[in-house]
Amino acid sequence: MHKKLLLIATVLAFALIAAACSSSSEDTTTTAGSTETTAAAGGEATTIDFWVAFSDEARLGFANDRAAEFNEKHPEYNIQVTSFSSYNDVFDAAVLAVDSGEPPALIHFFEAATRQALDAVGSDGAPVFKSVTDAIGGRSEILGEPVVLDDVVDAARNYYTVDGSFYSMPWNTSTTVMFNNMDMLNEAGITEPPATWADVDAACEAVMALADAPKACITWPNHSWFVEQSLGQQGELLANNDNGRTGRATEVYLESDGMMNYINWWKDLNDKGYYTYTGIQRDWDGTSNAYLAGEVAMLVYSSSDTTFFDENADFTNVASFMPRNQDVDYVGNLIGGATIWMLDGMDQTTEDGALAFLNFFSNPENAAAWHKLTGYIPITKSAEALLADEGWYDESPNSKVASDQLAAAKNTPASLGALLGDFVGIRDIITGAIEDILVNDVDVATRLAQANTDANKALTEYESLYGG
Amino acid sequence: MAGAGLSPGVQKKTFFRGRQWPYHLSLTVTAVVIAFPLLYAALIATQNNTEIFAFQLTPGSALKSNFDAVWFGRDFAGAMWNSTIQTFVVTIGKTVLSLLAGLAFVYFKFRGKWVVFFFVLVTLMMPTEVMILAMFRLVSGFGWQDSMLAITVPFLASATGAFLFRQHFANLPSELLEASQIDGASPLQFLTRVIIPISWNVIAALFVIQFVYTWNMFLWPSLIIRDENKQVVQVALQTLTNIDGALTYGPLMLAAIIASIPPAIVFLLMQKPFMSGFAIGQNK
Amino acid sequence: MLIGLIVAAILGPLYVWQNNDRPSAKRYGLGSAIAVLGAAVTPIAMGQCAFAAETTGVDHLFAYTLMAGGAWLALIALQSFFDRADGKKSESAAMTGEIRTGGFRMGWWVPWALLSPTLIVLIVFLYLPAIQTFTLSTKLTRLGAPKSVDVCFGNFTELFITDPWKLVAYPLIAVGLIYGARFWMNRSEPGTLSRKGADVATVVAMLSVFVALYAMFSPGGGEQVAYRPVYVTTVIISVGIVAFGMIGGLAVAYLAFRRIRGGSLYRTFLIWPYAISPAVAGVLFFMIFDPTAGIFTHTMSSVFGIDVPNYRHNAFMAQSAIILASGWKILGYNILFYLAGLQTVSHDQIEAALLDGASTWQRFVKIVLPALSPITFFLLVTNLTYAFFEVYATIDFMTKGAPAGKTSVAIYEIIRVGVNNGDLGRGAAQSVLLFAAVIAVTLWQFRTSGSRVSYGGS
Repeated sequence: MHKKLLLIATVLAFALIAAACSSSSEDTTTTAGSTETTAAAGGEATTIDFWVAFSDEARLGFANDRAAEFNEKHPEYNIQVTSFSSYNDVFDAAVLAVDSGEPPALIHFFEAATRQALDAVGSDGAPVFKSVTDAIGGRSEILGEPVVLDDVVDAARNYYTVDGSFYSMPWNTSTTVMFNNMDMLNEAGITEPPATWADVDAACEAVMALADAPKACITWPNHSWFVEQSLGQQGELLANNDNGRTGRATEVYLESDGMMNYINWWKDLNDKGYYTYTGIQRDWDGTSNAYLAGEVAMLVYSSSDTTFFDENADFTNVASFMPRNQDVDYVGNLIGGATIWMLDGMDQTTEDGALAFLNFFSNPENAAAWHKLTGYIPITKSAEALLADEGWYDESPNSKVASDQLAAAKNTPASLGALLGDFVGIRDIITGAIEDILVNDVDVATRLAQANTDANKALTEYESLYGG
Repeated sequence: MAGAGLSPGVQKKTFFRGRQWPYHLSLTVTAVVIAFPLLYAALIATQNNTEIFAFQLTPGSALKSNFDAVWFGRDFAGAMWNSTIQTFVVTIGKTVLSLLAGLAFVYFKFRGKWVVFFFVLVTLMMPTEVMILAMFRLVSGFGWQDSMLAITVPFLASATGAFLFRQHFANLPSELLEASQIDGASPLQFLTRVIIPISWNVIAALFVIQFVYTWNMFLWPSLIIRDENKQVVQVALQTLTNIDGALTYGPLMLAAIIASIPPAIVFLLMQKPFMSGFAIGQNK
Repeated sequence: MLIGLIVAAILGPLYVWQNNDRPSAKRYGLGSAIAVLGAAVTPIAMGQCAFAAETTGVDHLFAYTLMAGGAWLALIALQSFFDRADGKKSESAAMTGEIRTGGFRMGWWVPWALLSPTLIVLIVFLYLPAIQTFTLSTKLTRLGAPKSVDVCFGNFTELFITDPWKLVAYPLIAVGLIYGARFWMNRSEPGTLSRKGADVATVVAMLSVFVALYAMFSPGGGEQVAYRPVYVTTVIISVGIVAFGMIGGLAVAYLAFRRIRGGSLYRTFLIWPYAISPAVAGVLFFMIFDPTAGIFTHTMSSVFGIDVPNYRHNAFMAQSAIILASGWKILGYNILFYLAGLQTVSHDQIEAALLDGASTWQRFVKIVLPALSPITFFLLVTNLTYAFFEVYATIDFMTKGAPAGKTSVAIYEIIRVGVNNGDLGRGAAQSVLLFAAVIAVTLWQFRTSGSRVSYGGS
């Protein structure tokens, strides 16, 4: 009995000490880890909170390193990077933080929720975010950092320009490309990466006829982004009012010919056993694993991981444009990724610091380094030029495919992609329908009609809360 | 101690008659089957992806690098620390609050007692999960998101704990109270000097239940804690499913094992008092 | 709405008449008034929205149901007040623990001070969110949205079929079946329901409730939400976990309760998964079942030559995997309780049965099972709670609700709708349904454990 008492008492004592430590450490120090700060020598540095939706070492590390460099260069500022596990987490946390009075200065947020970010208001009804263009106000440099906003490549600039204003600073920007296991394709007698759906069909027939045929021929994540890309390629709108770009979108079109073509092709590949579904929606990891493990010959994916595939594939890995529908004229692929949004309501000093950091963050050297690290496109024209001068594209030709594909796009509302309220929810409806079609073998037209009803209901409801 | 269900010393009867080895055999097999998922995870935790894909059945070469990836690469230590603080604050807070409530229910007469009793009783059918959306809004409204307050304060009160102690106190001999009233002890002195020293088994039972419950909490922290530096260990496991763009099984399994060590230790160390405390709780 | 209030005014006194011996006129009056008041709470709180011009029969139905519920609760409260006034020691009064005559005689505020921390936390973090859940469930709103729209019962009606007559008929049929079964099993010896009869009646009752709810939830289509699949998934996974966890737990406990050398060591090795978290259970079984790297698929194909379907495509495999992982995790808990329960089974009874030459199985069914029934019942409820809520983490690690929602149980769906899609109103409405299920299970536990005790026989 005594031993037990002693044990319990020890545990309790430990607990009390732990509790005491925690309450005192909470106020005085910030936890180490992903936060890297350089204290200003003398004088209080202005803290600029930057919330990032990456938690992996490489990409979060990049943000941390740039923040440290900036802090060193501008000791009067202290950029604090905080890591979150998803865009939704960052966004919700930011909206809540606005209401509780301690918002960050910059948040990292994804393209699909651009409308949502523009609509975001605090509990006082004032907008949460401020247009970066307006804040820069035509200056060509801020705190000695040259403004690079005007230099951003067209595809990204056009996507994020709403009502004539370029709202947020693009960071990680990519498009969909296809990665090809050329060893396997060559073995099947295919010498060039397939460019069209028909080419893919033919290549798959050949690959699956091989004696040592892989599990399946092709895969890509069940993510609505690929659907949106295909609509852009085929020149079809996802929503009315020019994809929500000449006015608020109030209707979505999930039963269009472009939709039917793409989903039917997808289902056909799946039924023939050419396409393999990992069974999880938005499964980036599972699909990339399947490609690297040689379970498929082709992978349609985000260009963001080009470097990763180049480094990790133990076969000849060649990137090519996303396969397109050969029966319609090609219009254009769109971008995806995320931008950095600036919160409204900061004092001039803080805001200038935040703006200076944004322009520093994407200056040609940093943008080029980011591209090399990941495969996201170089976000400015000067970064592209820098990379070309360095001979980077000769060294790794796969890295150029994404930029080339975006440059080939015609600048139409279809290829810009949609600005849509509750886009996240609508994307969910789309992926849910596709999963149903692939897994449960339901009729494409019927299922898309239901998805269309559901999506329009979601949009109407969103508009009743945020619209006009 | 009366009615201690599992304590072996009570009924000093003979061992089970008949051949014992079939039971030993089947129990060993069962124990191994139950342990299999953990043993398998322990194996995987030592391997790198190549070894895993080769279905190697001997320990691999990557334990050190897996550990580094978990502990230093992802600051799993920070998450363990957060969970530790959360668990101790909740567990101790709950025990104290439950003791006080039990004391009030058993050793005081006051108007409206039955109303209060029902008020607490009804919360037994109000699991936090069914009101989690409203709770999320409420607690965010306090500005508590990403803070330790959000994952401790809402869980400090416990109907289970209050009833457990109420039941236990009610079964204690009433002479205890009379004796201490003669001494002129205050209720708190009575609690700390008389009641607590003879209630360690029940306290330990509640401690184990609450420790395991709090340490294993997942849904609520995953909603209210977004800042990765403040995350608790169960949710932090999720960030380990993807390290640098690929699924890495070894670190994930290692982290799962590490995350299970504290509740397992508490459970094993306090198994005996836990079980006899349970027997009291179950006594009716 | 007026009709509802009038009916309440009439039924109130009837309830009083049924539950009291020759009640006074005052009590009849009170019964009537309280019933009307209880019934009126809902329409007052909801601003009579359910009876507005554009509403449907289903809306009315919801309103009347809630009015009836309000009146019923108010009458129960009134009755317990009467009982106390009559000095009847109701069960509840005994339970509140008028335990000893003694006690501290101190200021009235002392017990309140001792209770206040508990009460404050319960009010702020349980009662308040509970009320807010109900309010939210009648709104269309999003996290951070500048405004919200009142939708009355819209978030609920879209989960059900649209025909109000069927919505009334199915529960009535279920109730009819339940009472019919009791009556039928009762017919030979009225008044005393045999154990077997009670079991059959319970099974019939459970099946009727399951089927009636199945028929009432909407299969989707049009503007309706497909909630029936969620319900089916929840039932399959919950029943699976409870059955696997409890049968497995009992089997292992029956094996381990005998007094043999090293018994307590074995017990420790059998019950430790109790300390494992649902999240870790998910992680461990995620590894085992992983289609490319997991041992399960590999062993099945390389050793037995069976190509198991990928559990992320195949609904049966996915649900089985979740059930296995969760059942494994809760096994330790069940073994723990069954071991404790088996110690109380009388050894003399077992020895006597042994002398009779009863087979092991007969002994088990005739002696052990009945003696364990209180514990079985307790475990049934705790396991069900586990299967309703804690399974969330396991699912989140293993399948994330896939394939095509086949493992998206009620709690998973609430988070998907309410948090991931930010649709707070709909999420809250689904929460209210789950809340109702929890209350139903708990009340059933109270009622049944009350009646079980009476024919426990020991």
